[in-house]
Formats: sequence, structure tokens, C-alpha cells
Amino acid sequence: MTHVLGAYRPGASPLHRLPAWSKVAALVAWSAVTLLVRDPITSGGMAAAALLLLVSVTPAPGPTLKGLGMIVIVAAMAGAYQVWRGDYLAGIDIGVDLIGLFALSLSITGSTPMSDMLDLATAAARPFRRILPPAVTGLMFAIMLRAIPEIANIMRQSRDAARARGVRRNLTALMIPTATRTVGFALDLGAALHARGIGDDARSDAPRLRPMRLSPQAPSE
Amino acid sequence: MIEFKDATVVAPDSGIVILKPTTLTLSENRITVIGANGSGKSTLARLINGLAIPVSGSVSVDGVDTRKHGARVRRKVGFLFTDPTSQLIMPTAIEDVMLSLRRVIKSKNERVKAAMAALEDIGLGDKADVSVNALSGGQRQLLALAGVLTATPKVVVADEPTTLLDLRWKAHVGALLHSLPIQLIEVTHDLEAATKADRTLVVDDGGVVFDGNPEDAVSHYRDLMYRKSVGEPA
Repeated sequence: MTHVLGAYRPGASPLHRLPAWSKVAALVAWSAVTLLVRDPITSGGMAAAALLLLVSVTPAPGPTLKGLGMIVIVAAMAGAYQVWRGDYLAGIDIGVDLIGLFALSLSITGSTPMSDMLDLATAAARPFRRILPPAVTGLMFAIMLRAIPEIANIMRQSRDAARARGVRRNLTALMIPTATRTVGFALDLGAALHARGIGDDARSDAPRLRPMRLSPQAPSE
Repeated sequence: MIEFKDATVVAPDSGIVILKPTTLTLSENRITVIGANGSGKSTLARLINGLAIPVSGSVSVDGVDTRKHGARVRRKVGFLFTDPTSQLIMPTAIEDVMLSLRRVIKSKNERVKAAMAALEDIGLGDKADVSVNALSGGQRQLLALAGVLTATPKVVVADEPTTLLDLRWKAHVGALLHSLPIQLIEVTHDLEAATKADRTLVVDDGGVVFDGNPEDAVSHYRDLMYRKSVGEPA
């Protein structure tokens, strides 16, 4: 499901044109309504609307369908639990709510550049600037999203490495290399941030930009 | 101009000396650093950008001390890593370059224009909205370089920038680096690339054991490695 994180695709849909803050506000309001209203028909209508919004931003089909497939399984399990408890309406309501919220989240990440989200997180953190610089808060948000697929990738590689050595279903063989390599990735990322001077963002006396020209042509793919 | 004055680096936990007291003045436009794995050459490179701080002695860039004024040094010195994966933070190419520009350009529209120009310059104009995960290793290294260059450094330190690249990208990234109109300090295992410099340092066992003409430096390094491989004293 990590494929769909930060899966922004440029476009001209109405959602693409909306500012990031309005989309995040809509997501919060939508979540509140789905929590408060326990009516399968309303939830079904909202989920259908969210799916239409998702289609309108034309996300990458493969990862989106894969992500939706996963959330349908989770929704079915959550719904089945409620049905098992005897609450059929709640079962349908929770399952459909989950699908609707996931579809809306995907339509927002698919139509909002990460830099806009970064600006929004930075702006939202301004009231707390005495505790943490707003730029750092925004950056933490970006790094978190960047780290999730990378950690999933490390976990996949660790699992393959364990299998290549004939070790299967061994949690230690999976988790220890994953943990150590994740720490290594975090250290490398920290060093890269430091080297790029990104932690020094808040300084206002930075020099003005003077683009540097380069000559050689890149090889074709 | 970069100055090392008795700069020494010691591993904090083990106390092992990673770089012995080193005094150097690096003023040439193209400097290469060669040496075996674990010899201390990356540590030497990291000192220039302030990524590593000497436990004693000092390192300064244009008179600015890396220990006291790290942020100012990092504006002067860009750093390119071997593996660009951890250097790329944002999900798409243009956003990653824009991240480097956040501290110098406040207007978002200007940032987009400048980032696009940087990508065009480096040959990645058509990859602006492509996910960094979908780029090839060579394209990622170019993107990392674009992120470094948009901050308009005076010096670029590149730590084995072509080690993970195929021959085609190795040649391209190498040519781009050598075409930069600024000082380049490149740590490399590519002895052919090492000879394209004005000056070459050979690092071994935590110290600079040769400093001078690139051809002589490569000969010295080959001889040193041969003697080590047959067990003769270095």
C-alpha cells in the first residue's frame, strides 16, 4: 500500500486547482461526518462521491487499484467483525466508511504536490514556533512520507536476503537487518539533510540565486 | 580556499583515530582524493562541508571555520554522496530541487521556475514531475547534483559519485562534474578519473601519504596497494 503514498500526478482537475488547506480541511470534515453519521446509505453515497473524486484526478491505475484492493480486504474484515457481533448496519457502515476515506485521501495526495503539503504543514506549525521551528515541522512531515516506502523496500530486501539463505518465517532474520538498515538509512538521510543545509532553512540572510550553466548532454534512457 | 590545520578526527566511542593531524591548503580547481576503503578519505571530504568536525585542529573554507559557522560553510560547499537515494527527500524531481531553494527563494512561483531551469540545465527537464523512485541510478545522481548546484556553492565535494553508476552514466556524471565552473574535490576509486585533476591526494591509514601530481599519485597508490597485498611494509 506504500506505492500510493505521495503519488502526486500533475493535472487540471478541480481538485488539482484547489489549495492544499481546503482539501485537508475537507478530509477532516469528511472524517468527522463519517464518524458521527451511522447510516449505511449516507456512507455509501459519500464513498461513491469519494471514488468519483478519485477517478477525476486520474491517479496511476496500478498502485491505486492495488491500494484499494488492500483497503477493501481491511474493510471487509472490519465489517465482518461487526456482523459477527450482530450489528449488520454497523458492519456495512464501517466497511464503506473506510473505503470512502481511503479513496478521498488518495484523491488528495494524488492532486496535491508534496511541496504544497510541506508549505501547509509549515504554516500549521507556526503557532508552535516557540517549541519547534515551523520549517522543521514541515520537513519532518516530508521525511516521514519519504521514509515509509523506503522502509518497506528495506523490509522486502531483508526478506529476500533471508529467503536466499534458506531462512523462511523467521522473524529475527527479517527484523534485525530491517532495523539496522533502517537506522543506516536514517543516518544517511540526516547526513544528506545536513550537507544540503536544509536544517539551516530559517536563516533570512541567504544569498540570492544565480543559476549555474552546464553543458554535456544526458545519455538517453 | 580550503585550509586544514592539524585537523584530527577520532571515532567518539572507540577512540580510534580516523584522520591523523592533517595540514593542507586546497586551492586548485580540480582535486582528487584516492585511497583504499576505510583509509579516511571520506572523512577528509566530510570535514570540508562540516559533516564531520575535527576533535582538534580546524578546517576552514574561505576563512570560515566549519566548527563555528557550519551553516555558512554549507552555503559555500555542496556535497554529493555515493548513493543518491538517501540524498533525495521529496517525491518528485522538481520538488526535491525546490526543497534546496526554500532557504533562498521565498516565492513559490520563482522556486518552480528556478528548479525547472536547474533540471533543464542538467538534462532532466522532462523528468520534473517523475517520482524519484522511478528514476535510474544515473538520473538520481544527476538530480542530487541539481539539488546541490541550485544552492550555488563555491565548492562541490563529491564522495565517490560514480561508484554505483554504469559506464554510460559514469562518463556523463564525471563529465558534468568536471565541467563545473567551481572548485571540485572528488573522492574516487576510478584511477583514470583521478588523473584528470590538477592535484591528487593519496590517503592511507588515516593520513595523507602523497600529495601532488595526479600521475605520480596514482603510481604511488598502485605501488602502496601492491606492497600491502604481498605483505610488505607500506
